Amino acid sequence: MRETPIGTPIRRLDAISKASGTQMYLSDYRFDGMLYSRMVRSTVARGRIAAINMPPLPDGYYFITHKDIPEGGVNELYMIKKDYRCFAEGDVRYIGETIGLLVGPDRGVLLDLEQGIVIEYEEGVPSISIEEGLACKGGPFVGDRNLFCDFTIDKGNIDEVLAKAYRVVEDEINTGWQEHVHLETNAAVAEKEGDKFIINISCQCPFYVRKSVAGLMNRPFEDIIVRQTTTGGAFGGKEHFPDILAGPLLVAVNKIGKPIQLVFDRHEDGAFSVKRHPSRTRFKTALDKDGNILGMDIDVVYNAGAYESCSYVVLQRGVFHAAGVYTIPVTRVRGRAVATNTFPSDAFRGFGAPQTLFAIEVHMCHLANELGIDPLELKKRYFNKKGDITVTNGHINDTVVLSEMLQQVMEASGYAQKAATYKPGSGKGIGISFYNHGGAFTGNGEQMIIKAKAKLHRRADGIVAILVGSTEMGQGLQTALAKIVARVLDVDQDRVVYDNPDTSCVADSGPTVASRSTMIVGKLLERAALEMKERWEEPGEIITQAEYQHPEGYPWDQSTFQGDAYITYGWGVCAVEVEVDPLTREVITKGVWSSHDVGVPIDELVVKGQIHGGIIQSLGYAAMEKLENTAKKGFKQVGLSDYIIPTSMDFPAQTATLVHNPYPYGPFGAKGMGELVFNGASAAFIDAVSRAVDTEIRSIPIPPETLTELMKHGA
Amino acid sequence: MVETSYIPKDLEEALRLRKETGAKPIAGGTDLMVAHRRGTGVVPKFPWPVMIVSQLAVFKGIRLEDGEVSIGAGCTCHEIEVSELVPWPVRMAASLMGAQSLRNLATIGGNVCNASPKADLPVPLLMLDARLELASVSGIRQISLNDFLVGPKKTALRDDELLMRVIIPAVNPAFTYLWYRKIGTRRANAISKLSLCAAITIDTEGMVTDFRSASGAAGPRIARNRMVEEMLIGIPITDIEERLPAFLDAYDGILAPQAMPEYRRSSTRRMLEHFLRTAVTRPAHGIIE
Repeated sequence: MRETPIGTPIRRLDAISKASGTQMYLSDYRFDGMLYSRMVRSTVARGRIAAINMPPLPDGYYFITHKDIPEGGVNELYMIKKDYRCFAEGDVRYIGETIGLLVGPDRGVLLDLEQGIVIEYEEGVPSISIEEGLACKGGPFVGDRNLFCDFTIDKGNIDEVLAKAYRVVEDEINTGWQEHVHLETNAAVAEKEGDKFIINISCQCPFYVRKSVAGLMNRPFEDIIVRQTTTGGAFGGKEHFPDILAGPLLVAVNKIGKPIQLVFDRHEDGAFSVKRHPSRTRFKTALDKDGNILGMDIDVVYNAGAYESCSYVVLQRGVFHAAGVYTIPVTRVRGRAVATNTFPSDAFRGFGAPQTLFAIEVHMCHLANELGIDPLELKKRYFNKKGDITVTNGHINDTVVLSEMLQQVMEASGYAQKAATYKPGSGKGIGISFYNHGGAFTGNGEQMIIKAKAKLHRRADGIVAILVGSTEMGQGLQTALAKIVARVLDVDQDRVVYDNPDTSCVADSGPTVASRSTMIVGKLLERAALEMKERWEEPGEIITQAEYQHPEGYPWDQSTFQGDAYITYGWGVCAVEVEVDPLTREVITKGVWSSHDVGVPIDELVVKGQIHGGIIQSLGYAAMEKLENTAKKGFKQVGLSDYIIPTSMDFPAQTATLVHNPYPYGPFGAKGMGELVFNGASAAFIDAVSRAVDTEIRSIPIPPETLTELMKHGA
Repeated sequence: MVETSYIPKDLEEALRLRKETGAKPIAGGTDLMVAHRRGTGVVPKFPWPVMIVSQLAVFKGIRLEDGEVSIGAGCTCHEIEVSELVPWPVRMAASLMGAQSLRNLATIGGNVCNASPKADLPVPLLMLDARLELASVSGIRQISLNDFLVGPKKTALRDDELLMRVIIPAVNPAFTYLWYRKIGTRRANAISKLSLCAAITIDTEGMVTDFRSASGAAGPRIARNRMVEEMLIGIPITDIEERLPAFLDAYDGILAPQAMPEYRRSSTRRMLEHFLRTAVTRPAHGIIE
């Protein structure tokens, strides 16, 4: 690629503190008189609470429940909707639902107290799987169909196309739960400063936390101050979930008046936190007699768990990405988020797109098998091009350079030669996948919902402070944003500082989600910096601000889901080569090659870091991250010895390239990329394994025992 | 609930404590501390008294004694992994346990006495006819590992006994071919999903004079059966192929996996088949992969 000065790596702002171990995380902080707390949670998936029998509480120990919510406060955590309760009240809907918070000075005593609590339930019949949820097993508990949402988008008339098709190929693809496994578990300390509540918390979205608890506490936003503490990983697991900690903590602080810490143990964090939505995607694809795709009828169902949280929004992204990077003449996509009695599913890197992108990629391979051609040949015919009509009847606005990216991956991987040489079932296989990720919030969300602002402050000492609510969580955002500002101002990098946000001091730049921060917030900071540069000669302090402006000419109707769901996409191509051990069916990954279009990388090393990590996470999702859920015990694989994420031994060194394709509305031409890099490697891996064992695979993950069963019985 | 812990200064005190208080030994703690953990900032609580024995030199040391390899119960997986005195499959098994930090702490005594069906070291040890030396205030006795491992998490260790060392007898003549394979949940830092250790001895006439194999994580205890092994002993190596189906069926009969039975049975079958068929071709290298 062409060298861009902005892309030349600099030392990350957080490199030394994190590499040297001096960085403080939430659990390192001590506050005067700080108490500890433990959540008391539901042990049944569905039922009524008949009685809570408490052991005697020693002096200085408290049990906080919904009864302690301040006067005028409502038992709710306001995420997208207000359906998620802070404390279970009357009934419980999933194993792990918060019933109360034990608070006191000694963690050992708290544990003994927790074990001494006996909660009696009148148990109901829970639904756990998508099928059980759709069948309303045990009776519906959300509406009359257990659906949080059900919507359909049409491009053309699919019924006519199916009716006149030469043949229709049906398919069903399933994906499982996935746990975030951020290095730092969920953690918060709440306290009171004067009349205000302070929440110090490991999170992605400080302003989300503030919004979620204001109604609960019956306070205006300004009375609640959220301070992000350095966050050791999140992956979406700290988008809405920190609200679940913040709510009970604030209720407790209000009652007790002392700082209170809540830090999850690793085991607790695995068993009792949100997960990626399991999915079931069904296809009916109409083909003509020459093997051309006439249309696709796609039915997407996500398992949302017991509360809606952000499932409707996750599902929208899944539905809008359901045709992948392909322009299919006629499509219908239906999306449903089904309520089940499982821990609520929530944001996770990719936010609904990985499930449908995996499904379409696998389905395209199956279509190619039906037609007797290499999957790559089929996929290439339908690549999106600039101006193509999307499933929401909007346009692809990007200059799509998938062919150039494919060329890079073909050359690096030797795909053509390997695909021709490795015979189906030979134990060797190479697979390839294509994917994209719509940048920033879906549709006009940035304009209508987020309305992001960014602020820059040149202080009296000449240091320029970035004042935004966007957060560093390991992805390199501090470095990217500070680099943009320093570059525009043409000052030394160390004259720009970017501290963890405090909602009482910074502008609300929106949540750190949706791969929006570099592209949207970075652009706002670029504009604020340009203004500051113009005023640079002014004496004293300077404050500049920028507010989001939606580019003209990209219509979107949120009520009908018609128009440009995304102004731009990041694009990706990934090839994976595997060998399947003939004795043990273990899959050994021999090579991983990728090319990504992220517009212009703000820092190539940060971008490569994201690519390597995102691809490994995606390969783990497909290969080994098995997570089962049972009605009696909830999640089964909760410790790190049972929930298997890859080590550096499991996948080889990667070759990752970038294309230069500037995005006109991004800072220095940059687009979002943090989620893109998760969206495709899983499908390339499954394509490779399917070829190696000559067996179609319709469900992930596939540990060797599952692969063995498939090879015996067929998919 | 008893919360007593002891730190004996020598073996005599350790044995006395064992007898008088029933205290259980804890060395590396990689099983016990995890099993009885109580979360961040809270000390683990054990349902019985414990004594810390990692400081006692009497449990250390890997030595050759009368042609037999003696491994102190307190030897760590790392010490075993790097010792040239220890037979290859035991070193392999030690090298594939957990992560380096765990291998620096976990001991052979703990791995044997924990008696997990998924334990790594007992698989090759059982195949090698290892014996254990147990001590109490009343004296010392030896027991075969086979008799010691009674069932899942159950051993023949008496309430007043401590495991002193593991003794691996010499194999004469040496095995001609060896096999060890651990299938973990991933390629490092993994609990065993299945393991198989096998060995065959072929004399100059081409006769099979010994054959052994043991399976981990394929049933409630490590599986090995001498009668099944004898199906392949005393025959010309060239006859292996015709004996193979009956042998594989018989070996399958000693496995009792509860979870993933198809996988564990068929993988074991394929590995044994591969090992034996490769041995028939008489490769130059003694370790078959």
